[in-house]
Amino acid sequence: MKDQVSFSELYDLTDSELENLISMACPKSVDFADIYLEYSQSESWSLEDGIVKSGSSNIDGGVGIRSIVGERTGFAYSNSFDYEDLSKAAAMAKSIAKQGTEEKKKIQSIIGYKKLYESESPIDSMSESIKVSFLKKIDKYVRSKDNRVEQVIVNIAASHTSMMVVNSDGLKASDLRPLVRFNIMVILKKGERRERGNSGGGGRISYKEILNDDFGIKHADEALRQANVNLDAVEAKAGMMTVVLGPGWPGVLLHEAIGHGLEGDFNRKKTSAFSGLIGEQVASSQCTIVDDGTIEKRRGSLSIDDEGCITENTMLIEKGILKGYMQDKLNAKLMKTNPTGNGRRESYAHLPMPRMTNTFMLPGEYDQSEIISSVDKGIFAVNFSGGQVDITNGQFVFSASEAYIIEKGKVTTPIKGMTLIGNGPEILKKVSMVGNDLKLDDGVGTCGKDGQSVPVGVGQPSLKIDEITVGGTEI
Amino acid sequence: MNNLSDRSRDVKLRIDKYINDFKSKNIDLQFNVSISDGFTVNCRSKELENIEYHNDVALGVTVYNNQKKGTASTNNLSDTSIITTINKAIDISKNTQEDQCHGIANENCIQEASEDLGIYYPVNMNIDEVIDMTRECEISAFDSDKRIVNSEGSSFSTSNNENMIINSNGTFGHYRSSDHSLSCIVIAQDKSSMERDYWYTSARDFQKLESPDTVGKKAAKRATSRLGAKAISTRSCPVIFSPEMSTSIIGNFLTAISGPAIYKKASFLLDSIGKSIFPDYISLKEEPLIKGGSGSRPFDSDGVITKNKIIINDGILETYLLDTYSSRKLNQKCTGNGVLTNIVIESKNEYPQDILKTMGNGILISEMMGSGANTLTGDYSRGAFGYLIENGKIIAPVTEITVASNLKDMLKNIICIGDDFDHRGNIRTGSILIDNISIGGKS
Repeated sequence: MKDQVSFSELYDLTDSELENLISMACPKSVDFADIYLEYSQSESWSLEDGIVKSGSSNIDGGVGIRSIVGERTGFAYSNSFDYEDLSKAAAMAKSIAKQGTEEKKKIQSIIGYKKLYESESPIDSMSESIKVSFLKKIDKYVRSKDNRVEQVIVNIAASHTSMMVVNSDGLKASDLRPLVRFNIMVILKKGERRERGNSGGGGRISYKEILNDDFGIKHADEALRQANVNLDAVEAKAGMMTVVLGPGWPGVLLHEAIGHGLEGDFNRKKTSAFSGLIGEQVASSQCTIVDDGTIEKRRGSLSIDDEGCITENTMLIEKGILKGYMQDKLNAKLMKTNPTGNGRRESYAHLPMPRMTNTFMLPGEYDQSEIISSVDKGIFAVNFSGGQVDITNGQFVFSASEAYIIEKGKVTTPIKGMTLIGNGPEILKKVSMVGNDLKLDDGVGTCGKDGQSVPVGVGQPSLKIDEITVGGTEI
Repeated sequence: MNNLSDRSRDVKLRIDKYINDFKSKNIDLQFNVSISDGFTVNCRSKELENIEYHNDVALGVTVYNNQKKGTASTNNLSDTSIITTINKAIDISKNTQEDQCHGIANENCIQEASEDLGIYYPVNMNIDEVIDMTRECEISAFDSDKRIVNSEGSSFSTSNNENMIINSNGTFGHYRSSDHSLSCIVIAQDKSSMERDYWYTSARDFQKLESPDTVGKKAAKRATSRLGAKAISTRSCPVIFSPEMSTSIIGNFLTAISGPAIYKKASFLLDSIGKSIFPDYISLKEEPLIKGGSGSRPFDSDGVITKNKIIINDGILETYLLDTYSSRKLNQKCTGNGVLTNIVIESKNEYPQDILKTMGNGILISEMMGSGANTLTGDYSRGAFGYLIENGKIIAPVTEITVASNLKDMLKNIICIGDDFDHRGNIRTGSILIDNISIGGKS
């Protein structure tokens, strides 16, 4: 397979037709226009009740055209690649502006960039029968390990997206993006009690890297372990507490508490709790946080973003000081700064906006054991099921799926149904110890904003928050 | 078939032919088609911000090949694309495993297009008038209170939709619907804090929408009412969940009694038929054909005709919500719940007009965040924003609190349902007052 996408081969759409379309979408009365072409194939296979019950395959493709005048955007899309249909979409997009004389636009540059993942489609890289027998093998393994297993659900999913963007500045850029994911959920029953454990992983990799025994068994063991821990978990006590977060996925804290509040659109509109705080201390001096879209093969990585900008490693918070926001083209221009390669969209049918890629905290100096032993009474939270934030007042929430009580510096009883709630701009000031064990998550995260979902990554070392409100049923 | 658009009619004729072609091969096919178009207008800072035109098509094929299942979908309705999609689904079905419960629905299936459900009100709208209306909404919010200093804007959205199902058993269903909505998100600020809140109106019939002025003013009032929120101490007390929040609790209950949750044994309500789940004065009904209802649908995703049913009768669970597959799996009768239509809560007791007064002292919860509702164990633990209530009056907004209990206890401990029913979504309930909820606070 070739490295560059050729929509002219796929859909009989030539460069000169694309030039005509961009000229239509960007008359003199329009500041900027772009055309986003996308063709995506995806599949998933799932096992439950011991059998591979179903598989599905999806093909989606289309073209989104937008015209921008100042802060205004006109947008239309078409699920056909037919020139006539696209001309109509271009006319609808530019209707946001006053009538203007048309100017002939040229597509001049094809940008070069470093590829962060293979171009090949993961879907075709393995036969269906191998995929199916892998699922069966994992199911059998889990059931053989523990006779209290009530249910095992195993899913694999893969997609391959070809995208190309052409804009009125003459840019033409394209990318081929693989994405695969493995998930397992186990329910264990002890007496009348049922508890769940989840695990999974993936990235912009091929099936080979997840459909192997080591990978599958690692996650199956992890799901079993979690379900087992939860079977013995007791009710959580509510109130203010010291909380130690484990490395990796708990980085969802940064994503919610800090990340969303540093997206360019909210800061241009001054609706974020972080608006106007560049240069200010927003976290303890041990905290350095980046958004890095350039890590090879990660779920949140992109060689170029959906506006054709090369992704970057953006410093958000350096030693506690707020350094920068994540930007797409529109918001960067309106804030008179540069895009940071964070312009992302769910598909051709959605407008791009500033979104995170892989957001994580850099390592500090403490061993995890030092951090835990420094806590007299508190909570050690290892895994979370997800979070949410109100970027205006800064309030964020996230829900633990595995957590323990810390007593006199020792991890003791597991607790269930624990929620953390805090305020973004305040909470990182209370981080008093940062571990040396930075870990990125396993590659299953999805972030939602304005109804658009995109794959993202999070990560962090172990860290200690001196006090945060913990929710639970025990008073 | 009068109600079909030319596009649907054309697709139907072609699908009929494909179904016929595969009959001789003993392969059953089911097609679910949806077509939708419309637009969204956003205004911000009293100006037009953007216009987005939508047109979406989705065609899904489910193949049953000797009790083996495969599904595939596409957004392209050309012959080549549909045939590729069918073949993809067949390829998949060759690799999945046999399951005796698979197969097309064969009881109570829809046979003809539905003419008028009172959910289709297409309107031809002048885009300039829509822009004016959307701007007016945000301007009303700004004008109603000086503390409204900023906004995420107002948004009007409209769409016309067509849904169609066709399968090898001769099932054919089709209906049209429309959705219109107007929303506004504003930001209130005082010396110490900045708070956002929103309001929206939505209806099948454009004429039934609340006025732009009302939507803007409600959004402004909600945002300003949050200013100066304080932290409170940890406690156990009665809680009123606003209608929007009550909807999500009833939604958790409905997830726990859905067929898939039951047959996967992933529910805290296994083996609960005939058991008392709610207080004995509460009933819960499904009414699929409410005129103008946002959940109204004549048939489910398997083509089974949707029917009125009682889910909770005087507190007792009467039925699980079963689609074709889960009904076979559990060896029970299918309830046409391959979709959830309109759900209405009823109380034999009075619906208090002033539910704050009924409660006296406690907390009113107007927003919850996070994914802390576990429908396997019933454990419930979420972050929240609300108001401290004393002697039936709002004393102050409260922030950074958590709400925790177990769904089983929450449903049992319902004291009453307010008369402030929310008719916008498919779950219709008023505020719900529940006793004995754990509230986590800052001290």
